[in-house]
Amino acid sequence: MIRLGSKPENMREMELDDIFISRLQLLIIMTKSYLNKYPLGSYRERSILENAELVKVDAVGLAEDIAFFGSHEDFHNGLNFEPVFYQRVKLLAVMAEAFAKGHSLEEHKQEALEKNLNTICETITFSKTISDMQFLKVA
Amino acid sequence: MREATIIANVKIAVIDEDVIVRDFIVSTLMYSVNREVLTFDNGFDAWVSFEEKGFPDMIIADVNLQEIDGLVLVSKIKEASPETVMVLFSDSPENEIRAREQGADAFLAKPFGVNELFNLVQTFVVEQDPAGDSSTHV
Repeated sequence: MIRLGSKPENMREMELDDIFISRLQLLIIMTKSYLNKYPLGSYRERSILENAELVKVDAVGLAEDIAFFGSHEDFHNGLNFEPVFYQRVKLLAVMAEAFAKGHSLEEHKQEALEKNLNTICETITFSKTISDMQFLKVA
Repeated sequence: MREATIIANVKIAVIDEDVIVRDFIVSTLMYSVNREVLTFDNGFDAWVSFEEKGFPDMIIADVNLQEIDGLVLVSKIKEASPETVMVLFSDSPENEIRAREQGADAFLAKPFGVNELFNLVQTFVVEQDPAGDSSTHV
């Protein structure tokens, strides 16, 4: 039996913040795959649209929490991002919805997408590179 | 260098009563394999469906399920369909030991993320083509 995930001493139930970060990481991978021209497919398109929508809703909600309470530290375990970060995440989600719907992004929009993606990746700790995932190259 | 391909028409099921965790797993797997992923919120409905419609290639289930829990499900499925890959997840270290004893192929310790789910796909769903043929099987 193989074992993956948290160390025994760190095991706990998954919180909404865990899901938000994991879905954001998934959105980053989806966007990197698009920028690398990896193939899509109907189920991948559906998955991108669903994931982008959920990330967008969460990002808007978390940004509103900051606006209302001033900080996340007291009620969001581990999440302490600046409001502009959530605006960038929302923009990433909107752009992901656009390419999943088949709207071609012009060169300058692709550059903006890549720049936004890199800024988000600098903020969150995320080591996975899509070159590790050969199966994304087939649809 | 060997090329990776996905098992043809791979069938994956996710069983969890926590819809937020379940939907996250489904989104990640659906994107990974570009296929529909079956979902169930309890072990009994999943078992009935598998008996009627056939067993998936891989099942990812929470240990704590209504009616038929994940540990019982592993032993039933391994008896009926030994080739089906069974992955259990839990937030309890004790359940890791029980999962091993029941014959699970993998254990996901909560909290887990995208990397762990991609690792499952890479380990159990991707075929390594010894001929180096890069054509897709799906």
